[in-house]
Amino acid sequence: MRAVSNLKRKSIARTSLIRTLIFAALVLLVGAQFDAYNQAQLAVVLILFIGVLSITLLTGISGQLSLGQGALMAVGGYSTALLITNYTLSLWVAIPLSVISSAIAGLLLGVAAARLRGPYLAGTTLVIALAIPTIANRFMSVFKGDEGLQVDVGYPPQWFSSLFGEPTYEQWQLYVALPFAGVALFFASNILLSRTGRMWRSIRDNESAASLAGVNFSRQKIYVFVISSTFAGLSGALYGLRGLVGPSVYPVSLSLLLLTAAVLGGIRSITGAFIGTVIVVFLPDWIELILGNFGLSEQVSNFLPALISSLLLILTVVINPAGVAGARLHKHK
Amino acid sequence: MNAVINLASLSRSPRKSIAVISVALAGALALTAMPAQGASTPGVSDTEIVLGMQLPQTGPASPGYNKVDDAMRAYFDYVNSKGGVYGRKITLVAKDDTYKAGLTVTSASALINKDKVFAMVGSIGTQTHISVIKDINRRGIPDLFVNSGYSGFYTDPKKYPTTFGALGTYVAEAKILGKYIKENLATKNVGILYQTDDFGRNTVEGLTTAGVTFTAKKTAATFIAGTQAGGLDAQMQQLKDNNVDVVIIGAVASAFATAVGSANKIGYKPQYIVISVGSDATTFQTILGSKGIAPAVSAGLLAGTISASHAPSPGEADDEFVKAFKKINDDFNKGPSKTWDNNVLQGMNIGYVTTAALMGAGKDLTREGIIKYIENNPLKLSSAALAPLGYSATTHEAFTGFWIGKYDATTVLKPIDGTRKVWTTDSAKGPVTELKYTRPAIAADALPKVG
Repeated sequence: MRAVSNLKRKSIARTSLIRTLIFAALVLLVGAQFDAYNQAQLAVVLILFIGVLSITLLTGISGQLSLGQGALMAVGGYSTALLITNYTLSLWVAIPLSVISSAIAGLLLGVAAARLRGPYLAGTTLVIALAIPTIANRFMSVFKGDEGLQVDVGYPPQWFSSLFGEPTYEQWQLYVALPFAGVALFFASNILLSRTGRMWRSIRDNESAASLAGVNFSRQKIYVFVISSTFAGLSGALYGLRGLVGPSVYPVSLSLLLLTAAVLGGIRSITGAFIGTVIVVFLPDWIELILGNFGLSEQVSNFLPALISSLLLILTVVINPAGVAGARLHKHK
Repeated sequence: MNAVINLASLSRSPRKSIAVISVALAGALALTAMPAQGASTPGVSDTEIVLGMQLPQTGPASPGYNKVDDAMRAYFDYVNSKGGVYGRKITLVAKDDTYKAGLTVTSASALINKDKVFAMVGSIGTQTHISVIKDINRRGIPDLFVNSGYSGFYTDPKKYPTTFGALGTYVAEAKILGKYIKENLATKNVGILYQTDDFGRNTVEGLTTAGVTFTAKKTAATFIAGTQAGGLDAQMQQLKDNNVDVVIIGAVASAFATAVGSANKIGYKPQYIVISVGSDATTFQTILGSKGIAPAVSAGLLAGTISASHAPSPGEADDEFVKAFKKINDDFNKGPSKTWDNNVLQGMNIGYVTTAALMGAGKDLTREGIIKYIENNPLKLSSAALAPLGYSATTHEAFTGFWIGKYDATTVLKPIDGTRKVWTTDSAKGPVTELKYTRPAIAADALPKVG
């Protein structure tokens, strides 16, 4: 029995690894076709994709609603920035360490969340997101208030430049984000395919039934929050490395943007998380491309991305709740 | 991604697949990492100079400031109508960052990589500009005439060699206002309302240097920048409860208006002293108007407010710069609101100084060339301001002089003692002294002459 289980585990890991490698190859190939601006945008897609995956796991798979993923991103961002600026650690060391701090934050949140559900949970997480500026200002000497901490991805190491040539700053942003996005994809894929993923789905579908089947849902809820927070923290760490870690980098609207991306793409699938992220990141550019020649005033054009993504969100919820990735399901129905 | 899943499930030899994909991955990485390309000056062609700007065009911090880009564009359109600079027309691409640093980074990338701007000009916002200033400087892109008085951007040109200010620093202005308070309001209980970013803290720093101090949570009330739309009732109540007679405002214009609205509700009428970027009369009246306060009433609320300025008041109809800029605004401003005010005057002035710098840098325009020109020739870059630009190799601070005025019943800032005295100081501990400066006249065609 154990041999069969090990075999299954290996098979899941292998499938996840193949997905990850193909994903990375496709990103690199597509990135090679892009200009500098779109390479930077692609890097943002990879960064936010990790954050959206945190919602896929938390909300899509295990049914816990969070409106404060931006706060957990901020935990990752601030941890990375403090480790880099105060201890001059390399980002390759600082980011994994900051992921641990996000996991601890997730654990604390998870302990509270295990007792909450529905709107109460959403409200609690929202309050945490709203508290970031106050915390940053209350502990000014550490977090540097509203102006935050300046950090970036810096320059590639010498060996990298010798091996692959000197990348542009945008390419380097992409190369820094890609391995982390790959790791996130690998783990998310593993979780979804494994027993853990099935347990979380059972909690989402019916807590009582899951409990009768032997799932300790309180403990699993805490696990969900810890894992989801590590994803959010990783995303936040990379997001901060675009130039600044500060309250205005992780506003409440960022949490809502991640949720929008997850719903648009399909909140229950990894594919959906990626599609949704591509939509929210590139939507303003697509709108500009289509409507740029109509000479719309700034007063109109500045509001269009938010307006159109809101419309898409409403249409998705009403017509196709499973999102783009789940459209196939509706067709088969 | 479905394709990815299908491919994976079709694979019969996963180990081999992983090896093949890994090799492909390394190949793709090598293909992507092309050497960085050297290029001629971006954003400059024989017929055009493209400039970029970042500002909050929407969101709670936008009222008033969202007019600056339209005013700058109006001045550039005027210059273009006169043949441009060495035959090149100036194009300004402005991007809305809603005062959120995450968006500032994205919009800077768009301006640099997509719009290929020659320089950034007149960007607005301290905390948002912090997120991009390092990257802009690292790329050697001129970061001209930033609309922030944060001294940290300018006092160390080795750190940010391409960044130049467009305002006097908050510290210098606060020191000058602090001197006035010490000399004229010493018997009053002085308090402050400030936003907890560099703007607010620099204001407190300058006042403290001048000897004006506060007690936290008693005579000093704070709020987080950008949250003023929710009201400042608690802060004004705190100041009222602590019997503060004079309230200094170290905050943006929308916050000043909100604070006065909140104070008015509780019958609190202190003497206000407002840092210049927060004291625009039109923005003040517009915001109070949106709260149902009629213009005549809001003009009354503003009357008596003390503020400072490096430029003439927009209400000084006889000032030659005001006259010229106002006409250009009437004829060329295509923005949604071209009502003449401080923001429009500031936008026009930045347009004027930018044009002068582009002219002075010469026909063979380069990024290094314009930075060097501005640093070496601040006195050739005259403007509407009543103080000279203070640029040098050791500082990129803009105007170091301010005059102090009081708003009258018609919302015009008038010199407080009848005759205008301009005061000058530095952003450190230097003394506040009177400035003797004669502003060069504006030419009949309202174009700068850099000789």
